[in-house]
Amino acid sequence: MLILSILFPVLLGLGILLKREWKRRNALLTLTGAGLIATAALGMGVVFGGDAELLLFSFGENLDLYFHADTMGKLFAVVVNVVWVLSGFYAFEYMKHEQEEQRFFGFYLMVHGILHGLVFAGGMVTFYLFYELMTLLSVPLILHNRSKDAIKGGLKYLFYSLFGAYMVLFGLFFLNRFADSLTFLPGGTLNMGAVSGNEALMLVVAFSMILGFSVKAGMFPLHAWLPTAHPVAPAPASAVMSGIIVKMGVLGMIRSVYYLVGADFIRGTWVQTVWMSLSLATVFMGSMLAYREKVMKKRLAYSTVSQASYILFGLSLLQSEAMTGALLHVVFHAVIKSCLFLSAGAIIYKTHKTNVEELRGIGKEMPVALWCYTFASAALIGIPPASGFISKWYLATGALASGIEVYSWLGPVVLLTSALLTAGYLLPITVNGFLPGADYPYSELKKKEPNLVMLLPLLILAALAVVLGIFPKPLTDCIAALVNTVV
Amino acid sequence: MDLLIYLMVFGPMAAAILSYLIGRKSKACRDGFVWAAVAGEFLLSLCLLFLFGNEAGERLVALEGVCGFGLTFTAGGFRCIYAAIASFMWLITGLLSPEYFAHYRNRNRYYLFQLITLGATVAVFLSGDLYTTFVFFEIMSLCSYVWVAQDEKEGSLRAGVTYLAVAVIGGMVLLMGIFLLYQEVGTLIISELAAACQGKNLWAAALCMFVGFAAKAGAFPIHIWLPKAHPVAPAPASALLSGILTKTGIFGILVISCNILVHDELWGAFVLVIGVITMFLGALLALFSVNFKRTLACSSVSQIGFILVGVGMLVLLGEENTLAARGTFLHMVNHSLFKLILFLVAAVIYQNTHKLDLNDIRGFGRKKPLLKCCYLLGALGIGGVPGWSGYISKTLLHEGIVEYLHAMEEGHLHASILSAGSVKAIEWIFLISGGLTVAYMCKLFAAVFLEENRDAQVQAAFDERKPYWRSVSGFALTAAAVLIPVMGMLPGLTMDRLADMAQGFLGVHHAGHAVHYFTWVNLKGSVISIAIGALVYFLVVRGWMMENGTYVNRWPEWLDLEEKLYRPLLVKLLPGILGWVCGVMDKATDVLAKLLPSLGAGIAGVMDIFTDGIVVLLRKTIYRDSPQQGELEEGNALTHVIGVSLNVLEELLNKTIWRHHEHRKDLEHWFVLKYSAFKENATVIGRSLSFGLVLFSIGLCATLVYLLIAALI
Repeated sequence: MLILSILFPVLLGLGILLKREWKRRNALLTLTGAGLIATAALGMGVVFGGDAELLLFSFGENLDLYFHADTMGKLFAVVVNVVWVLSGFYAFEYMKHEQEEQRFFGFYLMVHGILHGLVFAGGMVTFYLFYELMTLLSVPLILHNRSKDAIKGGLKYLFYSLFGAYMVLFGLFFLNRFADSLTFLPGGTLNMGAVSGNEALMLVVAFSMILGFSVKAGMFPLHAWLPTAHPVAPAPASAVMSGIIVKMGVLGMIRSVYYLVGADFIRGTWVQTVWMSLSLATVFMGSMLAYREKVMKKRLAYSTVSQASYILFGLSLLQSEAMTGALLHVVFHAVIKSCLFLSAGAIIYKTHKTNVEELRGIGKEMPVALWCYTFASAALIGIPPASGFISKWYLATGALASGIEVYSWLGPVVLLTSALLTAGYLLPITVNGFLPGADYPYSELKKKEPNLVMLLPLLILAALAVVLGIFPKPLTDCIAALVNTVV
Repeated sequence: MDLLIYLMVFGPMAAAILSYLIGRKSKACRDGFVWAAVAGEFLLSLCLLFLFGNEAGERLVALEGVCGFGLTFTAGGFRCIYAAIASFMWLITGLLSPEYFAHYRNRNRYYLFQLITLGATVAVFLSGDLYTTFVFFEIMSLCSYVWVAQDEKEGSLRAGVTYLAVAVIGGMVLLMGIFLLYQEVGTLIISELAAACQGKNLWAAALCMFVGFAAKAGAFPIHIWLPKAHPVAPAPASALLSGILTKTGIFGILVISCNILVHDELWGAFVLVIGVITMFLGALLALFSVNFKRTLACSSVSQIGFILVGVGMLVLLGEENTLAARGTFLHMVNHSLFKLILFLVAAVIYQNTHKLDLNDIRGFGRKKPLLKCCYLLGALGIGGVPGWSGYISKTLLHEGIVEYLHAMEEGHLHASILSAGSVKAIEWIFLISGGLTVAYMCKLFAAVFLEENRDAQVQAAFDERKPYWRSVSGFALTAAAVLIPVMGMLPGLTMDRLADMAQGFLGVHHAGHAVHYFTWVNLKGSVISIAIGALVYFLVVRGWMMENGTYVNRWPEWLDLEEKLYRPLLVKLLPGILGWVCGVMDKATDVLAKLLPSLGAGIAGVMDIFTDGIVVLLRKTIYRDSPQQGELEEGNALTHVIGVSLNVLEELLNKTIWRHHEHRKDLEHWFVLKYSAFKENATVIGRSLSFGLVLFSIGLCATLVYLLIAALI
């Protein structure tokens, strides 16, 4: 099942790509849709199917293609499947007017499979392999419309990602030397005997891996690809970029810090301090830039920069409550941000307005879409009872409980300031959309609500963003149990 | 009790959504439904008040796991009374709303958010822990934004932004305070806080929470949203904003003062000072205002100041705080009631004239005895005139200050932060603020109900306007207004009982000595206030604030905290500076990404030409080509001499023997060539193996010869 969940979509995607021409659009969509659902079903099968383990083959000593569906991987797998399938269905309508849909859906399916490989990877070698594959295969999604900007954005994404990947690879070489194995193990696999005397080197190695994965997670100073790549990509691609691909950088960090190097090894060292500082700086910087940004999708991209660093800050504290908050935010942010991008996409699709200032009265034209946007915004700002509030609560209390000098209170302050800015950049769209002013020409009002194919994913995601906040108990319990095994 | 509370909290929210759906079909049905929902809420709150408005109600009702940490609710006197007041206010405004909103657009939206806010407000008052408080506090804050911006005019939207900004910033600071508190004491359940907080330093937490709650209450210097939001919000909404939403802020401040920093003198002094400033400044602003609703809004700020003074006193007085506590609570109740009536009077004025400027609505109230009566009841109440309920609460607050002063003079209190003189000053500011209250209420009364409009036609139109309200509205307003004198005349039956029920929440558990409200000692304060008020009205308002019979705003324009300080700071300055820094951070990587490759290319280029460079360098220096040296580069001096002489010889021969066929040959050059060929041969030979062998053979031969000779000899 595990191997099928990876291979099936990849092969199907390849098939779609290789067929020379799709005469009937419906056939393509049916096949893609069925493929997405089947893949998701396979993925869910692995998630609920117990502790699956699989050693495919070895390249050599320590270099195994090894899969292991542990709880961490399963958590990410659920997030991946929910967002991927919903955005995929949304794309059926959105991509209608784009050319060469076949390429988009082909790669879309392939990346779906690769992501399964990534989340279920049992060792760093496997993880790295699929990480690179994901980078390469997702580039066509970004530069889909092949405009000059799109290609520039896609290449920027590629180069930044490759830079990050090589930093990871650098770390990997050393880890191979100083760790017992490259198989993920909660608490780390570092061979303390071999490490003693080389602590300084190992810290550099750990930092290089953190920095390498931070490219995908968009942490300053390697965040710059996000605001370039997002606005040019089609909305469903942006949604999964922000919702999922960014999270894979987070997963990479979790795997390398908590499962290879071990949280205890870097606790209290300069690596942790730098990590915390960078992530906090990013939280603030992202929000601030989003606040000043006028292009809707770019604003959301900066918002992702900021929000992803909430997660990283939670991870960098190396404290169980903060990590619970971080993992909750992984789930919530994936749902929320894809919802935001999809509603922004719906607006662009229907009105061709990309600038925030043009959106006056949009709530009168597309009330349902803007309601979804509003609920997701409220969740992202952290207005209770929507979901973002829960994760921020954990993050802030975790930071305070960590007792680290300065950061224990600076963290919550920055998080709240950023929440304030988040309100500042998200709410005006709602406000101008629903309250266009007394002089709004109501007589010329035309309903532009998108059809159900687009709305349904939006509605589901918006509902998730709120409902997960009101009834988070099962999720928080599951994550708290998971965190306790790791930290 | 559980079911009752859940119904009260979530019922209105469900009703809100239903009302929205109904409203899309029929407006009349919706109005009826909304009112029925509010009436139901009021009945429920009365049930709760009579069944659980006692100590039995003070147990926790928990919704485990909802919103992460579970929501808890509790009843008890204070909370039940306030839940009842909240739903009562919604009920009365609900009776007037259909008429007021008849010409508004987007009414569905208004009712949707009005009902959600009702549920949230009730939930704030019933919340058993600060987490629940915060959750519903935020819902309430954000939903009530829609009220302010309802008519979507430019001013409303701008005021809405102010309101939203204060609400969001306040909410975040409050949340920070709750984080800090939770970190320190590990519980947020209000009834457990007092025990858990003992001996801990909670100032940071308390200050943050205070800012958050004070922003909602409208305390200085975050009162800015009140004077902006009220004039533009629909009047029924203003009544709620000012009458009840500000009280949720006070509720929070009471939680801090009575449960977290219990009897902390410094805290008491802090709240007191804030209260005094708010009280006086609000009254002053109200006096200057020439807009009916703005005056009422500023008056709200001032009354909140009175309440905060009470809070400050109840903290300062320590165990002896019964009077201050009761006064605080009763003034809260009174103020809710006053503002309900006064804002609804404003609503009636506005729905008839669509104006609020005192010069425009001047004379509207003439020949409208019922409206005049309602206004007077509210105004006399808020002015603290004996016989009206405001007198009772203000007397208690005043008594609190006097009691503190006595305790100081008699030396009951040690290590006091405030000196007796400053407390005396506070008492006088209290009385003066009371006087200002009387003055601005007089100003409104005179302008609207006594004087004639300067335009006779307008006055005629005002007088002819009949009916100026529906009978339902008139009935509702009168019914609410009559409560004021009833409560004021019979304090023992009404207000004292309310205070008895509520004082447990304020940390007072023993009954204080009975207060005889209508004795000279207590009446004195009121009389002083009224005298000051009359003086201020006739001297300042009529003397200075009127010009040629019209009211003018004498408030200096540059004295505007929001426009001159907050907005520039928060909208321009901070985002400007920080945004620039972030922009640099953002671009830094990109610039580096561009610079580094070129730098790398440069280095690679340098390395590429490195070896070539060495060769070139060496050739230029050590292995430099030797410079050209004229003609004498070949051969040497000897060959030259010989060659030249051969040339001469050849020339001679040409002239003589070879006269017919001359040899034209540069013999010198030829000789040199021969010479170099010879030299080369010599070198080759000299270096060659055969040469070596030849030499070797010669040597061998010589040895043999030598051996032969030696043998012969």
